[in-house]
Amino acid sequence: MTETLPPRERVDPPAPRGPRLPDIPGPVETLGLAWRRLRKMSTALVLLFALALASVVATFVPQEPVIARTVELWRAGTAGPGAAWARVLDALSFFDVFGSWWFLAITAALFTSLTGCLFPRYRAFARVVRRPPAPGRGLDRQAHHEVLRTALPPTAALDAAETVLGRYRRRRVEAVDGVAQIAAERGHWREGGSLVFHTAFYLLLVGIVIGHSFGFTGQINVAEGSDFADTTVVYDQAKPGRFWDAGDHRGFVVRLDDFDVSYHPDFTPKDFVSTVTILEDGQEVRTTQVRVNHPLVYRGMKIFQARFGMAPRVVVRPAGGGDALFDDRVLLTQDGPFWVGRAKVSAGNPSPGDGRDPVPQIALDLALVPDAAIVDGELRINSPEPRNPRLAASLYAGQDLGLGRPEPISSLEFPQSDLVGQAMLTPGGSADLANGLLTVEFPELDQWSGFQVSHAPGRRVLLVAGMLVLVGLIPSLYSYRRRLWVEARRDGERTDVVLAGVALQRQTAFADEFAEVRDTLEAALAGPAPLRHAPAVPTPQKETRR
Amino acid sequence: MPNETLAQTSNTLFNIAFVTYIVAMVAYFFRLAFTRVSVAGVTSSTVTGTRIGLVGTALAVAGLALHLVSFVARGVAADRMPWGNMYEYSSGMALLVVAVGLVVVQRRFGYGHLMGFLLAAAVLMMTSGLLLFAEAGPLVPALNSYWIRIHTSSMMVASSIFIVGFAATALYLVKDTGERRVAASGGDSYTGSTVGAARLTPVEPDARPEGYEADGALAVSVASPLAQREVLSPVLFPLVPGVIAALFTLLVWRAPVAAIIAGSVAALLGTAAWYAVPYLPPAAKLDNLAYRTIAFAFPIWTFGVMTGAIWAEETWGRYWGWDPKETGSFFTWVLYAAYLHARSTHGWRGRKAAWVAVVAFFALMITFYVVNLFIVGLHSYAGPGLV
Repeated sequence: MTETLPPRERVDPPAPRGPRLPDIPGPVETLGLAWRRLRKMSTALVLLFALALASVVATFVPQEPVIARTVELWRAGTAGPGAAWARVLDALSFFDVFGSWWFLAITAALFTSLTGCLFPRYRAFARVVRRPPAPGRGLDRQAHHEVLRTALPPTAALDAAETVLGRYRRRRVEAVDGVAQIAAERGHWREGGSLVFHTAFYLLLVGIVIGHSFGFTGQINVAEGSDFADTTVVYDQAKPGRFWDAGDHRGFVVRLDDFDVSYHPDFTPKDFVSTVTILEDGQEVRTTQVRVNHPLVYRGMKIFQARFGMAPRVVVRPAGGGDALFDDRVLLTQDGPFWVGRAKVSAGNPSPGDGRDPVPQIALDLALVPDAAIVDGELRINSPEPRNPRLAASLYAGQDLGLGRPEPISSLEFPQSDLVGQAMLTPGGSADLANGLLTVEFPELDQWSGFQVSHAPGRRVLLVAGMLVLVGLIPSLYSYRRRLWVEARRDGERTDVVLAGVALQRQTAFADEFAEVRDTLEAALAGPAPLRHAPAVPTPQKETRR
Repeated sequence: MPNETLAQTSNTLFNIAFVTYIVAMVAYFFRLAFTRVSVAGVTSSTVTGTRIGLVGTALAVAGLALHLVSFVARGVAADRMPWGNMYEYSSGMALLVVAVGLVVVQRRFGYGHLMGFLLAAAVLMMTSGLLLFAEAGPLVPALNSYWIRIHTSSMMVASSIFIVGFAATALYLVKDTGERRVAASGGDSYTGSTVGAARLTPVEPDARPEGYEADGALAVSVASPLAQREVLSPVLFPLVPGVIAALFTLLVWRAPVAAIIAGSVAALLGTAAWYAVPYLPPAAKLDNLAYRTIAFAFPIWTFGVMTGAIWAEETWGRYWGWDPKETGSFFTWVLYAAYLHARSTHGWRGRKAAWVAVVAFFALMITFYVVNLFIVGLHSYAGPGLV
């Protein structure tokens, strides 16, 4: 951002004649004042601090888009500083810092400030880059200077110097007193790099906006052998971008053929892999594996391996046969060594009409242990793999279990009085529950796999922006503006070559570079045409290096 | 499968390196005590001082070699890159701090007097690593990616250089305070200059006391550098770092004994800093060292954040989700960016910019310790989930 600051206060114009009015700036002046203020580097610094502070808040206060559950607990007062404080935090949008109006305002102000800084700098940079190196005056007064003597004539000496200064932008000029001079400069990449770095943030913003507007992210869990189609309705927690609509879904079908998980000896998962087949219009298109860190990309949609779990198939039917009330695989989630989940067996019907009794709501509460044994009255987990699965099924039936309510079944509280039976099942086993009215069967145990399906446009833009950030950043920190001048003046038989230089930044680095140039130049001046009777040449005084 | 013998060897070497660093640190601090500083600010060691200094350097180099072997052995034992958990990461940071200290600070810049402080930083890192010790083991699937080589190592390298930068910044602030106060007591006003360079400018003539001649600057330069120590409080120097370190340890580990130890160590370091003031390089040079190290680490940190985003995209299906660790790395980045900007802004150069760097370093520490250990997120070490 700008280093040269515009004057904050102008010199007052001569006092106007006539009645004096109070100095109230008009709207235009106020805007101008605000603009100048915003362009100042110190303003940008304050805005950067505000941005950092906002992020610190977002680190310590749980964020709703990241962990909504913790935020709920904070609001309820069961976690965090209490419900009253949570209300204050809510009023300040502290639970969604990055979606709050004030965070947007800080970002907008930063970008405005950046724009205000950058445009004058672009203009200045274009001017400076086009301008050829300026001839130097008073070379012996420059921060670094050195006089070398050579037998070469001035033109040849300057030719030699041009070779030495190969990496500099240079030109031959005639200095004030008619002496030939090379003016050279280097290090425009400092400012250029800084401009690239800062400009890349606009591109970064564009990439983020594209992703948020035209992207889509959805979560889906599917049991082995089942499939899902890429359509709007299928996803849990779908996060479509503002301009993403139902027609943008590709409509292909993903079938989970197989799921595999392997474990470390400490029971933590080592790797989990889904084998999936993609179908278009019922035709198999591709069969491939999706694993962590190796997503599947198909028609612009990326399918990531996200979660997994146990999916026992459970059948509930009236005792003594008959049509099943429920026959499906229940997706269980991990809870310590157990896999737990619930299934809605019957939604019930309080008034079926025709004078029949109301049909109760029926639900199953399941807990699965993959491989455990009871040793000395204590449960011992042998392995996380389903070598010896046991399914604990609890059947609830009641007039109102809450199944009709919109909240997820897992968060319902089933009254203990509605528990009508419990059974421990092995694969292939069954049990009669509810006074022998219902049979619960556990025919087989499958697994399920959870995917995140997303379409994230603008990623390439972001990648390019990121590269530009780095490409700009490095020269803006390491490159430095420096100027060198070489003057050759005939002095009888010999030529005095004056080398002078100055650096705008990184003085110590330049001192080294100047010494190097000096040494190379000395060698070049001595090189092609050997000096006649060389011993007479006095050794030039070497400047002490700092 | 982790190789038990090799993992054990790695742990043993780690402990030996740890002790070696402590002895080397003590040697470096002893060297300070055997240093004489002339009126012109030139430091020279007595014969004993030089010998102790050599011993310190030799021990630091030996410790570094052992530490390196320990680090590599850990990687071989676990059959992966040795930066998969906080213990390994802390060990790697300490290793890099000592390496950067020896190669850059001592050898290239010639500021051997700073090595004691850098070794102290390394020892503190290793202590926190020991408190967070984890056996050599495999990684959770999400970490099992080649990006761990790129992302985590860049973060580790950048963090360790930031630590060196912090040491330089803190010592700059100390030295600068000393220089300022000595200048002020000499009747001169002190104005911050371009890069915090100690530049003494006489106050306005009419502001001078009666009979005061215009050789104030001379009076200051004649004052012994030892005066810089006298103008600094010998109470506050151990007290402030001691209290901060004790509170931080209490907050992070909830271990009162560890807090007392950490507090005492920090207090000793504070005293060492107070004692070392006259022998430290001039404030301007320390500031330059701080800037060069931070400017070197900043692009690496930037690269690390970016590769982290790419990795997150591959693992979690989004490049940025404001996960606490992502947020932490972001505000650390913003604060170091603010430091770099502050350093080229009028009115912010010198001390103000240095304070920004101090704040940025605390942000870095929060990102590493507090976010990893207490805040549940995808990177979290606090709860179940991915590292």
